[in-house]
Amino acid sequence: MPQAKITPNGAVAFALMLIGATMATGKHGLSIVAVLGIAFATLEVRAGTVTALKRSLVLVLPLAAFMLLVWVVIVGRAPADIAAGSVGSRDTALLYVALICTRLFLVVFLIQLIVACFANSTPLRFIGALRVPMTVKRLLMFTLSLVETFRHAIDRAYTALIACGLISRRRSVRNFVNGWVLVQTVWLTAITIVLGRLRDKWPIEDTLGLLDHALRPTARSLSCRDLVWLPIAVVATIAAVAAR
Amino acid sequence: MYRRELITGPNFSGRSRALRTLLREPDFALRSFFVGPYAEAALSGLSSTLSDEIAIYRDEDATASRPVFWPVDFAALADRKPQTLSGGEQILLALHCFSQSKYRAIAIDTALEQLDGKNRALALDYLGGSREPEFNVALIDNRIDALPSWSRREQRAEGSAYAGDLSALTGELVPHRAGAIVIHNLHFGYRRGRTIFQGANATLEPGVAHRLQGPNGAGKTTLLKILVGVLSPASGRILLNGVRYEPARSGNRAIALAAQNPDHQWCGATLREDISRRRSALAGRAAAPLPSDERIVSLSRALGFPSLDLHLYELPLAARKRLSWLWPFSGALPWIMLDEPTIGQDRETRLKLADAIRRLCSLGYGIIVVTHDDDFAAEISHRTLAIEAMQIRTS
Repeated sequence: MPQAKITPNGAVAFALMLIGATMATGKHGLSIVAVLGIAFATLEVRAGTVTALKRSLVLVLPLAAFMLLVWVVIVGRAPADIAAGSVGSRDTALLYVALICTRLFLVVFLIQLIVACFANSTPLRFIGALRVPMTVKRLLMFTLSLVETFRHAIDRAYTALIACGLISRRRSVRNFVNGWVLVQTVWLTAITIVLGRLRDKWPIEDTLGLLDHALRPTARSLSCRDLVWLPIAVVATIAAVAAR
Repeated sequence: MYRRELITGPNFSGRSRALRTLLREPDFALRSFFVGPYAEAALSGLSSTLSDEIAIYRDEDATASRPVFWPVDFAALADRKPQTLSGGEQILLALHCFSQSKYRAIAIDTALEQLDGKNRALALDYLGGSREPEFNVALIDNRIDALPSWSRREQRAEGSAYAGDLSALTGELVPHRAGAIVIHNLHFGYRRGRTIFQGANATLEPGVAHRLQGPNGAGKTTLLKILVGVLSPASGRILLNGVRYEPARSGNRAIALAAQNPDHQWCGATLREDISRRRSALAGRAAAPLPSDERIVSLSRALGFPSLDLHLYELPLAARKRLSWLWPFSGALPWIMLDEPTIGQDRETRLKLADAIRRLCSLGYGIIVVTHDDDFAAEISHRTLAIEAMQIRTS
């Protein structure tokens, strides 16, 4: 019996196809990707779409502002104009910035949609469900483990420096001046945490060996929802690339 | 017949090494579950949530054949990140994971010292206190000399590289009258987490030791973090010597904290760097003169460390824990907070630490000690601050 919800495999394949199309197409193709992204958000992600949208805007807007400042306000020409040695205009520069930022926004938004789609799952379950070689799964788990280690190290370093009075929670010049100590302490802490694991816990337990068991897939690779979305994504990708 | 081995001996006598040697004995187990003294050596480090941590270790066959150790409702905490649990809760999670795993042996290196009385009793019972477990156990615990029906391997100290004179710790300190700390109507809760304090009140007087008590996860370390400014209360006031004290805004300039995990407090790679940064943080803001270089060197020697240039992270954990007392005992700040100071410390060290705390009290310093070690607490005349039902009760 096929599953009702989209699976991690279907969602990742769907996102990868659309991201590929986003990178390969022009402004007309981007509208095809955007329409399909919105349809996916409405039908599959629903309430999580707002969060995905907010996160995408937070990530992309600062870059968009920076690019506007550089290309439109300061340079006043698009890179293609400069390469061709033509005079160019702020309009072509604006079009260039809009195209780049829309592309980036769509890529981030698609990734955020997949994250929102599986918000009720856990990283272990999500990665475990993927039909990829075990080495890839292990690498994904290591990457997440490193990210968590750094977040933990930041928290620890922050605690240490506030407790000793070197920095405080409030934004201040003092914090800025001692920022490099925070960075040094974070690195030192992260290295210590990793060494602690490598020296004691992991070799005694062979903890990494447990991942093979924990990451084995327990559900079907694809669901009927996947079989709806994937052909649509294929068609949209072809259409977007053709519309370039 | 399963083995239960207790490894005893003083600090730096090679107990941890003996534990690892035991784990390599072919008849102990091919692979053992390991619970080290702190989180990075107790949890896998591979999971982002509690439910993933449990799933990594869970083996359905083992779960069917062995009782599950379940002292905390981990299902209710399934989405939490393991490192956001308190130190004691992390140890309980590790034991919970072991109880569902396929491992036929477990090795515990002083980790049970972080548990409150009830959870410690539950853990020891699970490990074979009252009945025969179906797995091998190797345990190092400074608060246990012997257990009925357990084998004992005693390690003897053969001259330590970290031999000091802890009785000299407070020798050069001069009287210092700290101001009282008044906590008024304190509210605090973690974002998307539990409420820890709801209208809590307490008055902490200098010259007397305060023992902060409460079950694992009650909020003892949270209170210390609020007092040093790592966390900011949602509402409420803290007064120091009658004046409003907001360390989260203005920075900590009154409280020297020795953290539960010593590695949570270093701000340098060597002791010299750490002390120099602590001094610069207080320059021009300290209530008392900062300790001289000579005083720091003499304290370091008293703790068993001849040089300030040793790399902190290369020292054994018990030694790092001991070094974490240096700054609080230097007299730089009027209030001293010691979070589980006895973890990993042998009886002799604990007694000398109690001596030092008594002396600091007599000199007028303010002391707060978080400890689950009743024997250690009994060595110090103290007031109890119990965290119960989001309040701080004084007795």
